[in-house]
Amino acid sequence: MSTPAIIKTKDLDKYFHDPVEFQALKNINIQIDQGEFVSIVGSSGSGKSTLLYVLSTLDTDYTGHIYFDGDDLSLKSKNELAEIRNQKIGFVFQFHYLLPEFTVLENICLPAAKLAKYKEEEYIERAYQKLDLLGLRDQALKKANKLSGGQQQRVAIARALINDPKIIFCDEPTGNLDSKNSQNVFEIFKELKEKFNQSIVVVTHDNEFAMKTDRIITLRDGEVI
Amino acid sequence: MKKNPLLKIALTHLFSKKRQTIVAMLGVTFGIAIFIFQAGLMSGFQAFFIEETVNTTANIRIFNEAAKNRPSILDKINTQKDHWNIVQNQKPKDEQTKIKNGYQIISILENDPRVAGVSPFLGSQAIFKVGIAQIAGRVSGVDIVKENILFNVSKNMRQGDITKLETIPNGIILGDGLADLLGAKINDNISVVSPLGVNLDMKIVGINHSGLTDVDKSRAYINIRNAQKLLQVDGSYITDINIKLKDFSLSEELAKFYNSKFGFRSVDWKEANASVFSVFKIQNMVTYLIIVSILVVSGFGIFNILMMIIYEKMPDIAILKAIGYKDRDIKIIFLTESLIIGTFGGLLGLLVGFLMQKIVGNIRMDIKGFVSMEYLHFNSTPGFYLFAFVFGLITTAVAGYMPARKAAKVDAIDIIRSK
Ligand SMILES: Nc1ncnc2c1ncn2[C@@H]1O[C@H](COP(=O)(O)OP(=O)(O)O)[C@@H](O)[C@H]1O
Ligand SMILES: [Mg+2]
Repeated sequence: MSTPAIIKTKDLDKYFHDPVEFQALKNINIQIDQGEFVSIVGSSGSGKSTLLYVLSTLDTDYTGHIYFDGDDLSLKSKNELAEIRNQKIGFVFQFHYLLPEFTVLENICLPAAKLAKYKEEEYIERAYQKLDLLGLRDQALKKANKLSGGQQQRVAIARALINDPKIIFCDEPTGNLDSKNSQNVFEIFKELKEKFNQSIVVVTHDNEFAMKTDRIITLRDGEVI
Repeated sequence: MKKNPLLKIALTHLFSKKRQTIVAMLGVTFGIAIFIFQAGLMSGFQAFFIEETVNTTANIRIFNEAAKNRPSILDKINTQKDHWNIVQNQKPKDEQTKIKNGYQIISILENDPRVAGVSPFLGSQAIFKVGIAQIAGRVSGVDIVKENILFNVSKNMRQGDITKLETIPNGIILGDGLADLLGAKINDNISVVSPLGVNLDMKIVGINHSGLTDVDKSRAYINIRNAQKLLQVDGSYITDINIKLKDFSLSEELAKFYNSKFGFRSVDWKEANASVFSVFKIQNMVTYLIIVSILVVSGFGIFNILMMIIYEKMPDIAILKAIGYKDRDIKIIFLTESLIIGTFGGLLGLLVGFLMQKIVGNIRMDIKGFVSMEYLHFNSTPGFYLFAFVFGLITTAVAGYMPARKAAKVDAIDIIRSK
């Protein structure tokens, strides 16, 4: 079986209009295959986060084309994009984003409850598996806002995994992690790719981390070099 | 995670703002409780009043309308347009207010299958004298047996017996207020003076309490023959015929029918009390205005708290959208919040309103005004509760809709970027 592109861009441009007209992404033509583990590097302000938001369907204000799993995203409605994000995309933001008053377990289950593909007992079981994977089982019933920054980031990763997405986008997931946990996250991603053929796209500052991935995409001033 | 994460999220939001949520709920509670109390009081009072009125006003009253303004003779002769006719001090024509063939009409009515009772009436102003006490009032000349069928006079007798009006030639039944004013007791003698100066010495055979304060202070029943003596008229002279129907809801229709059949003015009880009913209308309007304004205010309270929650929970909204929750889901969360406030506030309002009715309804009031009653009568039909609750829910839903729509429109990427 060949590895078809999970995501492919064609002449992708992105402008910010406020406060001044500014082109944040310039003529991006990239392809990420199913099962590929890719890192995106570049100096601060080079457009890494911007690219990730566009690729992950959250930001729809771009020109050019993004093909996701074969479909042109610009032809999809808001609701269809929401469904794609729910089923096929996992996202770990640069700044961990959890619902503070919900428990760790509840946070992880949110996408699964929306998907409603599995029964409640089943996805809770799956959530515990993800927590095991990230070494957080004992934190399951704590409120999210009682966890340390690094722990919250790992909860966000567990949440991204819950619906078995085709692709996982991570914006500096190891920024808050010590080297041991950072290594652990790398191993998890590698396992996901190898065992489940999931694609991983990681924005990172960590050169060591990047070097170990399948491919490095480097951005400078909004351009791939 | 519970089956419905949206409900859980909504509840979490409300719990994170306990105090404001409770205040918003109490706003709804207050509006609904006041409505239940007010509407129950008004409609209970009105029902009581209508019942009293139906018991004391004939379903239909037939009478000969006294002479009204009529064209002067000059107007009749001199009809040219460019002339003015001025006639001063024109007197009403000396027409009798007598109902011609009154007793014949009565016997026709008594044979009408829709009629439950017919009572002839001859009323007059009179001055009542006991020693030096003298009070102006009215005498109602009646056939007491027939009158009793219409107005259940015997039920309202405080003392004495209505049949004595038939058996004792000069018997009189005083309203209790009138008796008090005169300082007269049962079996006392009293003299009654008519506007024509006829003086009858009468004996008090009963004291009556109709419940309508003004009436009880001024009215006395006498036999219709005595009334005819006071007015110096013949034995067929009556001014009114009062009719009780088997079904009083036919009053209006039959009043029209008798009007054209007998050629005398016929008025049904609603028309006779039209002024009171228009007061009721205003009362009801005020009641509904009160609940509308209170609920509008509590609507603002709900709007306010939801806007606060939305601003505070922007990041939550952004996350939910990022992990695949749709705009509609977000809208449902906030609408749910407003409906939770409305439902619980409303249910509590129903309970408080009910309790207020029960508590106030058990306080002895002894009201002596328009009508006299010992306790306030509340109307607690389920209809009011249903109306208040549904209206409360609609208000909260409307108040919640705008914030909910605003939340649904939040652009997730703006918030994620700005952190
Ligand atoms: N909302 C915005 N409005 C205007 N310019 C923005 C906005 N967000 C980011 N930028 C600009 O776009 C460029 C790329 O930003 P970003 O993708 O966050 O960089 P990175 O993640 O690589 O550090 C930067 O120059 C930044 O100033
Ligand atoms: Mg960034």
